[in-house]
Amino acid sequence: MSAPAARTWRQCDARVRAQRHFGGDFHWLDLDVPPDFETPEAGQFVQLLLEPPSPVLLPRPMSIAGAVRRARSLTLGFLYAPVGTGTRALAALEPGSRVRVTGPLGRGYPLGRPGTPVLVAGGRGVAPLLMAADALARQRRSAEFVFGARTRSLLVGLDEARTRIVKRGGRLHLATDDGSRGLRGNVVQVLERLAPRLAAPLVIHACGPHAMLSAIARWATAHGAEAWLAMESVMACGTGVCRGCPLPCSAQARERVLAAGAASGAAALRGNPEWAMCCTDGPVFEARDLDWERVE
Amino acid sequence: MSRAREWGRAIPPRRVDLSVRIGSLELRNPVLTASGTFGYGDEYAHVVDLRRLGGIVTKTVTVRPRPGNAPTRIAETAGGMLNSIGLENVGLARFRSEKLPRLAELKATVIASVGGETEDELAELLEALGAEPGVAAFEINFSCPNVAAGGARYWASPSRLEATMRRLRPLSPRPLIAKLSPDVTDIRDTARACEAGGADALTAVNTFVGMSIDLDRMRSRLGRATGGLSGPAIKPLALARCHEAAHAVGIPVIGSGGVAGGRDALEFIAAGAAAVQIGTATFVEPGVAARVVDEMREWLASHGIARVADFRGTFAAPAAQGCAPADARELAEDRP
Repeated sequence: MSAPAARTWRQCDARVRAQRHFGGDFHWLDLDVPPDFETPEAGQFVQLLLEPPSPVLLPRPMSIAGAVRRARSLTLGFLYAPVGTGTRALAALEPGSRVRVTGPLGRGYPLGRPGTPVLVAGGRGVAPLLMAADALARQRRSAEFVFGARTRSLLVGLDEARTRIVKRGGRLHLATDDGSRGLRGNVVQVLERLAPRLAAPLVIHACGPHAMLSAIARWATAHGAEAWLAMESVMACGTGVCRGCPLPCSAQARERVLAAGAASGAAALRGNPEWAMCCTDGPVFEARDLDWERVE
Repeated sequence: MSRAREWGRAIPPRRVDLSVRIGSLELRNPVLTASGTFGYGDEYAHVVDLRRLGGIVTKTVTVRPRPGNAPTRIAETAGGMLNSIGLENVGLARFRSEKLPRLAELKATVIASVGGETEDELAELLEALGAEPGVAAFEINFSCPNVAAGGARYWASPSRLEATMRRLRPLSPRPLIAKLSPDVTDIRDTARACEAGGADALTAVNTFVGMSIDLDRMRSRLGRATGGLSGPAIKPLALARCHEAAHAVGIPVIGSGGVAGGRDALEFIAAGAAAVQIGTATFVEPGVAARVVDEMREWLASHGIARVADFRGTFAAPAAQGCAPADARELAEDRP
């Protein structure tokens, strides 16, 4: 496994810098964290904890969609939909409000891998890929950006994606199930059409609903592409301690962990041949390391 | 007048002696981390100064590695969380070869949690680890609610607990702490059984068996039907079980369940606990245990209490005090 190693996380206070609508039911939240907060990688996440009295007990894992370093702060951006008790409370926060942030957590996308990078987003799964697009632009690598959703209104932040991709020399490919925007179909059908025109090997970085990720995993296996997929799971600690967010390892990953034995203690998958933890072994996994038949 | 108001004038916080004894174990303060919530000891070392804690209790180790239960393992509830982790751990061999050397380097008092499906397995663990220098004491997990074999239900039998403690006690020179389940008819029976078998101390309590059903899908929010409930929601329940256990035995009791602040911890101490453990709160605030130490010290100082050991068991239950009309009037006057 060659995803970037998890680095040192911390917990600190953050201030809401801005909160705005991002189209449809979606919000964008900018949080200022202290300048010594480590710059996150695309695909990493933080745990957000509301000030008491909070309607929820546990912090909420939130994928980071942007990171802008300023002289006296680091601003982290989050794209989210206020659907549950916690995210609704988050949406009610005004600029200046205080939030506790733990992070950056987990392993992000290995954007430096040799090959042609293809970013694939499904609906609100676009969040970490906006940041991945920024990172690739900094590396002066053009990106193919495939963006799919059930319908055009769920192509969340399409303008944002276009700004980040097209203006930097990348290409945006759209797909909707109902054909209301782009190709009528799904992102795998876009990949199918795109692949012959791109230099192999393809290195796919994706985030979206489970069915989409599962389909990408199968497609990548069949086409000799690498696929790095950002997963979701219910979490408590977010730091690997509670062991609460398991994902099933593939047979291949199990064999590797067992063969590594004691030496695997510091490596990814942390020596449990059955389950990988979404928070520390992921959230970005190489597709072949998970057993897609058993991912819930 | 309430007992707390009888304490003396405020003293400087630095004069408060927080040290406590758990059998032969000396703790610099009464705040421990609960098993399963602090890894094997070093995962939080970069964000928590372990020297500020009374000690850490490791994740439960079993003879064979356990992969743990199928997802979903965590579900949030009102004021708490359910878990069904299922004792995922690296097993005895890797615990000895990988974890123990790191534990020995920690500048912390380390209590190793051990668990087994049978008396034989617990004996095997203590025979292997009992004299390890990096381990200050053992906590025997008689109360996991999330395993099919050797869980809380199996260890609910007082006679089995007593017999097992009798067999385990000679296997280690270190203090043995029995961690009890709250899900028994009367915790005083299991507490007394462990004491009779030779336990040096008790931990009261582990998580409570709980459930959460997603009605729309008519399925459990966990991979299993039930899990262990922890967090602020269980504090009043845990405090009552701790109080009962502490008054039933002569050995020290470590309180556990929903502690998230210094006042929570002091409630357990007042109820008779010698020390407390912090669990779920660490998931919310990794540095909470050190904050609890500071808050305990401040509260004790502001009430002129120079030794936390003097505060232990100072709460007298109303039944023992009697409920005189004067008390009732005073209670009414206390209301804002």
